[in-house]
Amino acid sequence: MTCYEFQQELPELVDGGRTAEQESHLNSCRSCSELLADLTVISELASSLQASEDPNPRVWNSIEAALRKEGLIRQPQREPGLALVSRSRPRPLAFWWAPVAATLLIVAGLLFYGQLPFSRGSRSTPAQASLSGPKLASFADKDDQQMLEVVQAHAPGMRAAYANNLRAVNAYIQDAEESVQQDPNDEDARETLVTAYEQKAVVYEMAMDRSLP
Amino acid sequence: MATAKKSQGNGLTEAQAIERAKQGDAEAFEVLYGMHKRRVYSLCLRMTSNAAEAEDLAQEAFLQLFRKISTFRGESAFSTWLHRLSVNVVLMHLRKKGLPVVPLEDPLDTDEETPRKEIGAPDVSLAGSIDRLHLQNAVGSLPPGYRTIFVLHDVEGYEHNEIAEMVGCSIGNSKSQLHKARMKLRELLKTSRAEKAGKP
Repeated sequence: MTCYEFQQELPELVDGGRTAEQESHLNSCRSCSELLADLTVISELASSLQASEDPNPRVWNSIEAALRKEGLIRQPQREPGLALVSRSRPRPLAFWWAPVAATLLIVAGLLFYGQLPFSRGSRSTPAQASLSGPKLASFADKDDQQMLEVVQAHAPGMRAAYANNLRAVNAYIQDAEESVQQDPNDEDARETLVTAYEQKAVVYEMAMDRSLP
Repeated sequence: MATAKKSQGNGLTEAQAIERAKQGDAEAFEVLYGMHKRRVYSLCLRMTSNAAEAEDLAQEAFLQLFRKISTFRGESAFSTWLHRLSVNVVLMHLRKKGLPVVPLEDPLDTDEETPRKEIGAPDVSLAGSIDRLHLQNAVGSLPPGYRTIFVLHDVEGYEHNEIAEMVGCSIGNSKSQLHKARMKLRELLKTSRAEKAGKP
């Protein structure tokens, strides 16, 4: 069997078994053997791309808005007792997220306009260091936990979804931060980081909407 | 395939969420969205290689699904129904844009008479040197027609007869285009690896 003949049959080989003749050619031809190995690696790795990305939280926002507009969503009926209880719940807890969401957007804006040099290294000044990564991360963790606790209190069924959204958007922020660290002058990386912070602000806004009676 | 009995943290199974969504329950819609958003969005993203388009298409797919949810009777898996619908939404979008969903078989487009030559040197197998991110970037660089077939078959797991029916081509064409897509990906991955090796 020649290499040409073997490669004519290659499409079937990646997905299925092989004949004795094909096996014999593979054992004697390094080039065809590596070609088949490479195509198999590509095919097998492809399945890891399935369900590998999360959409922006605003996608759900748009879907929900459309469903309400089309009348496909009806407001859940509240029992009278629960209604009284919810009105008597303290409201201020919902409003602390407004400054958190605003802060995330301000940070995003400052990064975008280059006001924050974004350096975790020793080159940053004390003022710059106060706004750099570790402090922002601890700020985020604490508020993320508090947000989830309040979602749990107001809409326990949605806590898991918000936790997943936060995990996804925090991972997005982390990836974007690493890109900017590698090349602080990379405009695309900075824009990506801004977008990541904006997405986190959207998650907080959605949670805030939910927490308001 | 029976309806998947997945459950979210709030205890709702998929079947329960479907029944509640039929009654207009907002939370049920959100539960169903949460269960399937990754699969639908990733499919849209792989096939369009554009995040903004993928978001719009994912949104459209879910809206179409939710509008028809009252007709779902559970004979097939909900996820299968949603997935097929998502594929159709993307294919329709690609056709509207005038992009070739599947390249036509060119009777003059014969494989080389001589065996394919290796790209770059030294000739090292891809095994162990590429990861999901590399492949993801390479898939994004594929021509649209190749990308469609590769995503539907290797990423999403459709068989050639299903692909042929969805995109309107022959089974032979589907197989041929898949092979060309894989060969093109191999070329892109090796070139990318050689370029990175050459960087200071």
